[in-house]
Amino acid sequence: MNSVAADDLRNSYISRIGGRPLSGFTKPLARLIDQFERLPGIGPRTAQRLALHLLNQPEEQIHQFADALLAARTQVGQCQTCFHLSADPECEICRNPERRNGVICVVADSRDLLALERTREFQGRYHVLGGLISPMDGVGPELLHVTELVQRITNEEISEVILALTPSVEGDTTSLYLGRLLKPFCSVSRIAYGLPMGSELEYADEVTLSRALEGRRPV
Amino acid sequence: MIGPNGIGKSNLLEAVELLGSLRSHRCSNDRDLIQWDTPQALIRAEVGDGDRLELELRRQGGRQARRNGKLLDRQLDLIGPLRCIGFSALDLDLVRGEPALRRQWLDRVVLQLEPVYADLMARLNRLLRQRSQLWRQRQISSAERHALLDAFDVQMALVSTRIHRRRQRALHRLEPIAQSWQTHLSGGTEALELHYKPGSRLDGEDAEEPWRLAIEEQLREQREEEERLGSCRVGPHRDEIALLLGGSPARRFGSAGQQRSLVLGLKLAELELVTQLCGEPPMLLLDDVLAELDPTRQQLLLEAVGESHQCLVSATHLEGFGGGWQQQAQILGARELRPDLQIG
Repeated sequence: MNSVAADDLRNSYISRIGGRPLSGFTKPLARLIDQFERLPGIGPRTAQRLALHLLNQPEEQIHQFADALLAARTQVGQCQTCFHLSADPECEICRNPERRNGVICVVADSRDLLALERTREFQGRYHVLGGLISPMDGVGPELLHVTELVQRITNEEISEVILALTPSVEGDTTSLYLGRLLKPFCSVSRIAYGLPMGSELEYADEVTLSRALEGRRPV
Repeated sequence: MIGPNGIGKSNLLEAVELLGSLRSHRCSNDRDLIQWDTPQALIRAEVGDGDRLELELRRQGGRQARRNGKLLDRQLDLIGPLRCIGFSALDLDLVRGEPALRRQWLDRVVLQLEPVYADLMARLNRLLRQRSQLWRQRQISSAERHALLDAFDVQMALVSTRIHRRRQRALHRLEPIAQSWQTHLSGGTEALELHYKPGSRLDGEDAEEPWRLAIEEQLREQREEEERLGSCRVGPHRDEIALLLGGSPARRFGSAGQQRSLVLGLKLAELELVTQLCGEPPMLLLDDVLAELDPTRQQLLLEAVGESHQCLVSATHLEGFGGGWQQQAQILGARELRPDLQIG
């Protein structure tokens, strides 16, 4: 299909938007839109935009895209030490000898790890639990990488563990549980909760402010 | 608002309540609030100083709150411009019914005093649910279970302490107001007392730390019983607010008339405290309740609220309302309420 035809199709479709009129679409296109719509954060409008955009790309580009998808799915697994996403048996952070400084930061999943990594402040290594303790969802410590964490602490000469978990009931439960479990082996701390930088005190919500008051420290 | 049953009077009051407080006293599920076979419902109101409030309920997906057309990140921010307090026939259960109803009454007041309270209550409820699920899990070892219970105890002790302290403080402020209404409404024959009976033993001096430690201890001690009975025996979810008239429980010994006056007194105390705190009188929603009061009590209610508060009143008949009410009111009949029905 040439790009003029695709533009026409897009315009005619967008003018009819409202419900989900996937009729009027040739089958392969409808299938592609449907696949995009299954992704998190993508609604019908964005799904169409992406699908129609791809139709305008050179075929080579599409091949690269498809290859990247498949390669990521088949090659990316978990680091056998810290359980961060990794294509190798051990991830880059765990392989880096400079980061072997006796400090482990415990996070719930790889997204949290990436957020902490962006700060460039933390020089130690990580441990990804794979979730938080929540009996309601049937998640107990045995389903998380807790045993492996204890093993690492005894094997790797760890002096400090930093717990960086969300301050929800489940996050706090996991922090308290791990705190008691690990105290005999090393020092355990928890990240502070409080005001985001660059925000004004007067605009902070009450819950954040009261948490920040609780976590106050001497000047 | 005068009209036959089923015309939608209570619906309208419920919509106002929902927009003002984000909750309905009749129903906790949004799906039941949306008209059958339609995907969504929209409540829109324009209040005093020109604020436009909107709440959209959807059968699928959550709610959306807008203020002056702007989508709000936190729905809680919708609360404020439209404060309202409802009176309904269900309120009679406040004296006669389960302790949970009295806790809800007190919680509404605390929530107005301190917005953080909503977070405390949400945490407590979540902790209780997680805790009871933990007992049902069969595959974990006893040592593991108790290690997790320790983690719940620490959090519950802190949250419980804060809830107990806030409820107690609010009750202290409500008591004198309720007492003066009681004297007013009953002609001063029987003294009213509001007793806070916390669901935890609050040992030691009245401060956060000793109470927290005491509650943590009690939570640990009750575990065997908790396992046997399937529910946690200590905490604010077991609070009771005892209402005493002349020293005896109004729940059991009060006459129907006494109970009715007492309910009215408690609600008026809530109203007065909220007015004091917000500086602005909240709107009153009187759902089918005025006609149930005798003329003397109606008159007292009118004197108490009529001058300063806007009231939305629903009833099936205009008869039974004292002259004072009718003179000051704008009366809407079935035709105005439901123009689509074309009632003769």
